Amino acid sequence: MKNNTQQEKDHPSKKIMPETTLKEIKELNTTIKTTSEQIITQTISHLKKINPNRPQEMEYFDELANMFGKRTQELEQYKAEGKKIVGYNCIFAPLELIIAAGAVPVRINSGWYDTSKLGDRVVPVEVCSIIRSTIGAKMIELSPFLELSDVLITVLTCDGMTKLSEILGGYKKVWHLSNPRIKDSDQALKFWNEEIKQIKNNLEKLTGNKITTKTLKPAILKTQKATKAFRRLQNIRKDNAVISGQDALLVTQTFMWDDIERWTEKTNILCDELDRRIQAKEWICPPDTPRVMVTGTPMFWPDNWKLPSLIEEGTPKGILVADELCSSERLLYDPVGIDEWTMTDMLNAIGERYLMACTCPCFTSKDGNEDRINWLLTKIKDHKIQGVIYYVTRGCMLYAMEYTTVKRALDKINIPVYYLDTDYTREDTGQLKTRVEAFLEMLNTQIDL
Amino acid sequence: MTATVGFDIGTQNTKIILLNNNNNNDDDDNDNVDNYGKVLAHAQIFSGFDPAQALKDAVAQALKTANLSQTDITSFTATGSTLETYPYPVTNVSIMSAITKAGTHWFPNAKTIIEVGAEEARAVKCDERGVMIDFVVNERCAAGAGAFIEAMARALEIKIQDMGPLALTAERASSINAACVIFGESDVVSLIHKQEPKSEIARAVYDAMADRISAMVHRIGVNPQIVIVGGVAKDVGFLTSLKRKLGVDVLTPEFPEYAGALGAALIGLSKNKTKERPKI
Repeated sequence: MKNNTQQEKDHPSKKIMPETTLKEIKELNTTIKTTSEQIITQTISHLKKINPNRPQEMEYFDELANMFGKRTQELEQYKAEGKKIVGYNCIFAPLELIIAAGAVPVRINSGWYDTSKLGDRVVPVEVCSIIRSTIGAKMIELSPFLELSDVLITVLTCDGMTKLSEILGGYKKVWHLSNPRIKDSDQALKFWNEEIKQIKNNLEKLTGNKITTKTLKPAILKTQKATKAFRRLQNIRKDNAVISGQDALLVTQTFMWDDIERWTEKTNILCDELDRRIQAKEWICPPDTPRVMVTGTPMFWPDNWKLPSLIEEGTPKGILVADELCSSERLLYDPVGIDEWTMTDMLNAIGERYLMACTCPCFTSKDGNEDRINWLLTKIKDHKIQGVIYYVTRGCMLYAMEYTTVKRALDKINIPVYYLDTDYTREDTGQLKTRVEAFLEMLNTQIDL
Repeated sequence: MTATVGFDIGTQNTKIILLNNNNNNDDDDNDNVDNYGKVLAHAQIFSGFDPAQALKDAVAQALKTANLSQTDITSFTATGSTLETYPYPVTNVSIMSAITKAGTHWFPNAKTIIEVGAEEARAVKCDERGVMIDFVVNERCAAGAGAFIEAMARALEIKIQDMGPLALTAERASSINAACVIFGESDVVSLIHKQEPKSEIARAVYDAMADRISAMVHRIGVNPQIVIVGGVAKDVGFLTSLKRKLGVDVLTPEFPEYAGALGAALIGLSKNKTKERPKI
């Protein structure tokens, strides 16, 4: 644990958080870490209990789910070997460049409820839980990923992320990555490509490794393979109920901190097992189970994880077959599309993949955020979705405000959508359960008719 | 004679309805098919700290009224808060489905059913078949529900049942913020300090609540007929404010607080049709 005076020396004027004594940091860190590890263990054993015939290959992801475990040790090892760890707060961070520079990318968004309460010491409770939780995690140095990061790429997508980067900037080196709010203008793409180039230069300076065609090509190939593995899992879920939505979400979630190559390999092995289950017709639920999709605010392991179990374990039960979350499917769907393996082409392709393909509600155009609406409609059709739960954590303005547009679009195709608002609390699951069950009852009645 | 039980475990009261489950002409009693689905008894008991016990008491009370014994009950359907364990073998249905069933039972042309209980308010949109097609629930704060009126009556030092009639005598309304029960109460205190008449403050309380509920209903659309159920539907002060805000008539059944229980019982009845339906 790095002590406060050292931090003070690094960034003397930018320290925004209230004074916390080393003793308090240590005590809170221990308590919250213990609770968190208990919750992780409980959730995993619960997943095993509710589905005795759970895919065996989930074991790898179960182990990875403990963020304080092996992966943290691996990152410590990398660091000891002189490798740089690059933390990022948003899916706009160009992973290929980080990898090409010989650094290790890891996402630092926090899913801890207990640290979101600590965040209240710094910002008002109206601020979204993700931001408050990340602030709290920094306050007590809880997140191994955030702590191990040599630098943070903070993407300025929403107001929360923008101001969060200022707060984190008092404690860590921060590189801002500013995304334009419109995609379809020349100046936007030009600006964005310049931002990407800046990140490339920064990475080269940090690691001392020049990013060349020789290093960038394999990095792109690596993420392309990950995307392919993810799409394979997606396609399996389209037509075959062989894996629960909760398990699938765990797989995509762990991508954010795992070694990409190994994650790809393990996901493919899982898909092999799922293929065998399709052959053996080992379905996890009856064919008339309502097919649900979740969209909205990202969900982060381990506390911000209530909704999937409510959908799949209530009475009646639904099955979560797809999502449109930047903590899951949006993370991985789109590959970097390369025409020619030249530096300019590769950089442009990276810029395009991160900007144009993203359906974040931070974007708008003359027709609103039409990319997201179109993508939702496509997913609903492809995955035969019967109902959508629109999930928003309080304070998440962009998703909250875009609900009306999404609802209007889904009303047109007669797909029921329910707005579920919550935050990181564990105490409101009873109320949420009532709502989710009512929604599933409604879907069941409509399916029966 | 046999009966189907529906109960609704609310945050304040547990409500129970016994429906006649007899649809057989050959019954020994003089009971005939016309009585199928008729309400045999209803009861309401404070939920308190032991809702399972409250439930047992309510069942006992209803059975006594109906002059039946527990063995005559063919099914239990529960709605409202879910308990970890029930003293009976129950089937759960959500409160949204239950109020839809009851609302359309009372008013077959209902398209919107609003329920305002002690600590939650919700609204359901249904189609012409009485099938729920959308619903909305108030944000977690109880400022749009009965507990708000209770807290405000306390601040005004009047009985809760006197508050509605008092509000109707107001010529204008003061203004308070209904974002939160506690802050609402401090708003009321400042109005008291400004010596505003009690009647106007009372009306302000109802107006603020009606604002919240009407905003909620607008999210699913204001589609007549609109039915209001739940305990607060009996409060004339609130009803008047709500009708004014929505600009349309709002229908109230005779026993609005039993909507959840009745809906559950009706769902139970239709699910447990073991015998042939009566020929009408």
